[in-house]
Amino acid sequence: MAEETNQDEMVGYRQQPGKLPFAKPGSGGKDRFSSPRDQEMIPKSQGGDLAQPWGSHRHDELISGQVIGKPTTLVDGKWKVTGQAQYGDDIRLPGELIGRIIRSPHHYARVLSIDCSKALELPGVVAIATGVDASNKFGVLPVTKDEHAMAVEKVRHVGDLVACVAAEDEATAREAERLIEVEYEVLDSIHDIREGLENSEYPIHDRGKYHIGEANIQKRVFQEFGDVDGIHDNAIASHKQNWIFSGVNHAATEPHAVVGHWDPSGRLTLYTPQQVPHYVHRALADVLEIPMHQINVYRTFVGGGFGGKSDPFPHEMCAAILARKAGRPVRITFDREEVYWINRGRHPSRIEMNLHADEKGRICGIETDALIDGGGFASFGHVTTYYNGVLHTAPYEIGAFHYTGARVWTNKPASGAMRGHGAVNSRCAVETGLDDLAEQLSVDPIDLRLANLLPPHSATITGFRVTSIGMRECLERVKEESGWDKKFRKMPLGKGIGIGCGFFISGSGLPIHWDPNKFPHATVHLKIDMDGGVTVHTGAADIGQGSDTVVAQSVAEVLGLPLDMIRIRSKESDTSPVDLGSYSSRVTFMNANAAISAAMKIRDELLDATVEITGAKRDKLVIGDRRIFDKKDPAVGISYLEALHKAQEDRGALVSSGAYRTPPMGRTHKGAAAGLAPAYSFSAYVAEVSVDVETGQTKVDKVWAAHDCGKALNPLAVKGQIIGSCHMGMGQVLSEEMRYGRTGHLMNPDLLDYKIPSVHEMPEVFPIIVESNDPEGPFGAKEAGEGPLLPILPAVCNAVYDAIGVRTAELPITPDRLLKLIERKCKAEGINDPRELKSPGLEYSDLQTILSERSEEHKKRDLERRLNEDRQPYHNGALFGLDPTIPPDEIDEKWAVNVIPSADYIEKPRLAGSAWKHTERRHRGDS
Amino acid sequence: MVQHRLPMLPSAGEVPWVASVNGTKKKLNIENNAILLDVLRDQAGSLGTKRGCDMGTCGCCSVLIDGEPRLSCLTLAAEADGCEITTVEGLADGHHLHPIQEMFAECGGSQCGFCTPGFLVVASSLLEKNPSPNDEEIKSAIEGNLCRCTGYQQIVDSIRAASKILISEENIEDYTSPKSDPHPGFTGE
Repeated sequence: MAEETNQDEMVGYRQQPGKLPFAKPGSGGKDRFSSPRDQEMIPKSQGGDLAQPWGSHRHDELISGQVIGKPTTLVDGKWKVTGQAQYGDDIRLPGELIGRIIRSPHHYARVLSIDCSKALELPGVVAIATGVDASNKFGVLPVTKDEHAMAVEKVRHVGDLVACVAAEDEATAREAERLIEVEYEVLDSIHDIREGLENSEYPIHDRGKYHIGEANIQKRVFQEFGDVDGIHDNAIASHKQNWIFSGVNHAATEPHAVVGHWDPSGRLTLYTPQQVPHYVHRALADVLEIPMHQINVYRTFVGGGFGGKSDPFPHEMCAAILARKAGRPVRITFDREEVYWINRGRHPSRIEMNLHADEKGRICGIETDALIDGGGFASFGHVTTYYNGVLHTAPYEIGAFHYTGARVWTNKPASGAMRGHGAVNSRCAVETGLDDLAEQLSVDPIDLRLANLLPPHSATITGFRVTSIGMRECLERVKEESGWDKKFRKMPLGKGIGIGCGFFISGSGLPIHWDPNKFPHATVHLKIDMDGGVTVHTGAADIGQGSDTVVAQSVAEVLGLPLDMIRIRSKESDTSPVDLGSYSSRVTFMNANAAISAAMKIRDELLDATVEITGAKRDKLVIGDRRIFDKKDPAVGISYLEALHKAQEDRGALVSSGAYRTPPMGRTHKGAAAGLAPAYSFSAYVAEVSVDVETGQTKVDKVWAAHDCGKALNPLAVKGQIIGSCHMGMGQVLSEEMRYGRTGHLMNPDLLDYKIPSVHEMPEVFPIIVESNDPEGPFGAKEAGEGPLLPILPAVCNAVYDAIGVRTAELPITPDRLLKLIERKCKAEGINDPRELKSPGLEYSDLQTILSERSEEHKKRDLERRLNEDRQPYHNGALFGLDPTIPPDEIDEKWAVNVIPSADYIEKPRLAGSAWKHTERRHRGDS
Repeated sequence: MVQHRLPMLPSAGEVPWVASVNGTKKKLNIENNAILLDVLRDQAGSLGTKRGCDMGTCGCCSVLIDGEPRLSCLTLAAEADGCEITTVEGLADGHHLHPIQEMFAECGGSQCGFCTPGFLVVASSLLEKNPSPNDEEIKSAIEGNLCRCTGYQQIVDSIRAASKILISEENIEDYTSPKSDPHPGFTGE
């Protein structure tokens, strides 16, 4: 009896006892009905219930209701919460040595000699390397390769690399560090950013025939669009402010770390927490003089990037060089202090912002002059110099735009790319300027913005192709949810509310390495074997933002699979297709697009197999949860596994490759590519603050943060990015600052004195997701990682003004700085007690009605443009009466595009503009 | 000048050290001036305990010593001799995660994940003492931990959610339990 029962339970493979939890491969399905698709996640255009107020999308038919748009846990989340995730310093190889870097104690000096003999005699020291071991230059941008693994001739800032040592343990390595004797000839160093514009005896770098004068100017930009001379004729209100922004550091919690290892087949594996493994790969090949295929770059888990791990770094070269010399793996881990020596944080800047408004409340001109402090090396600076100008040419329609920018070398740790790259400081200046213009015109600052927005599918003044715009919705949502009308200019002294907006690129239009320029920006490979699970190979660097998750989500969605059937292999360059890296907010946009295109190829094969088995019509088939069926008659269909096994007949695993490359865009003037992106994100924040007028202490109480990310593929992650951006921006506006002393020395290279907000400083943030359904984005998505940082700075500055009537022009707004401004205001108004100050009030002028009417009109215009696909072109300038369908320079003679300053301008330049007083060597006829 | 470090203090030699690390008795020989963080990472095999700043500002290296949250970068290993040390690796019960771990993954409390181990041990100690903390109590407990990604909001959410699970005594699923069936509805006949 007992025997019989046991036999009844034997199902599946006979040789295994018990019931198999899974279907055996190759078996047919029994249940011919699919589990119902999640109708709430299926777009209306596909017969589902999901409303599409922004119209349909080319990826709509790929929606299977699986994961897109649902809050999704990071696919590697459990690795992180169990301590299993391996970051840079967690890679421990057998026989490893500890590497240490010997750094310059001088701001600027010639290295005369390095004597390693004593250190080499120390027992336990295995290898020492100096600049002579690697004389090739590298750098993240091919046009400005100016870094060496270690000093070749000069050290350019305190903490610059001089030599490196590998020893059996850390104590020995540190002792060896002390025993290496370096002889320097100290040179006069430059610390003031303005001094960099002047000729100098020993410029920090020599750019050969492209060197500008004898100065320390690394890059200068001049751009004029429209009738700049005519701005002042039309302006009835003008704003001018000279800003000083301190440098800030990413302060990612993980200090940089790297492990280099040459294996017995002679190949190098470099383990490094990197945002741009591919550029590291290229730089290593340059420096080590070996072909790229001899190198495997292994991206470990990255403990926070924010731009701080997006350059190929000299210490990465050092680890490879030391490991080669020593014949053993070498691990180098930074102290927190060393993180500040490598820096690449936001540029310390001096920005002059001029904004002008005409009688109709239109922004008839923006004139910006930005001098930025590059520190000792170029890094991303070439691009940053452009971004400081071109990234504030939207979301507003502008009459004319003038920008002069210059980046100078100084003897400080190099500045580079940091979250909101190049856009943050000048955006802060623009948005506070708009607040001031609204004040001068006696109108509401939100209405001033609403009446000057570019419509969807338009071109900015610099010729950027803007597709979807959710700016208006962002502004309307924060206005409503913050209770703006009841609070603005109506709160008591010390309480204030302010608005700020943002505009940011979602991926850059051109890759950094553009030769040959037909390479895709992102590639994703898929492999599906008999088990039905999908292996995704992508080179996208997950730095905690969830790029692995978003790629997995995209594949799961298209193939109708649960997320746990997708596994991501994204770490090694040996197995991952090239991806350019996690910068420019490009990853979700480009990688998810590539993943979708790879998954579509597999989807096609599954559909073909289904047709073959069922005889159903191909165009009637849809993919639901692990089942492919006829949309009208779900009983006709087969399971995913059946279709897969059919498709695999005679060939085995299905593999596919998908890629993404940006479409051709933009104008042709010099620098036209900088700031060009396949899509742009928009955001608007309202911040509510309390300011103690007696101490100058500012506290942000609440933030309403609306961000247009196109489509939130993973709303949980988007909200995390918005709140995290608030945190980082709040740090810059209130407390974070790289403080340099009178002698130019960095005074706070640690997390005790470099103050990032703790949990108590964080306001309550209300993240608001606006989905404008971008036509180019994956399922309509755009970026959400960097753009949300921009508005918090001006929102806080404007709220401080609303609270106490004081405009700041220097960040961070520390209590001492604000108190000085309060005292000055009291003195000017003859008040002894700051508590008697009056906070600003508001009475609307007639212009307010004009603006409200125009914004209502534009709202209709925008709605029509986004839903009607037969739209006419719209070029910036239509608001000023020009024909929107033709680029303005083709209509109006006075409307010019200039990228070289006139002789008149050079006579009377602004600060950064004075970089044009110098002539390049090649034009002087020097060597 | 770079703050050139002084030569490392000469160690007076190795001393025996015994402590319970995540329930396992570890008998080690350590340098008598060793820092607990180094011993945990380099000798006791707890690479989940992270080094962020080396000076007690970031909280990444937090561990529990006899149930109390401590900064292991500011603790001499000798001080923990004979103690019970819990690191992030000791929170889970086999393949069943601690509710605080499950919720950090679920609610977005962990982005890059580097600060997460520190937050987890601190929060687990809070919930041990106070199973239903209010937001202010949660914030006070984690004020010594810095996070650069999340802006703390989703961390507070995670701790709140974990507290609910602890009170309801809901079971956390074994993470090795079977994943999705690629062929649902198939019974194998």
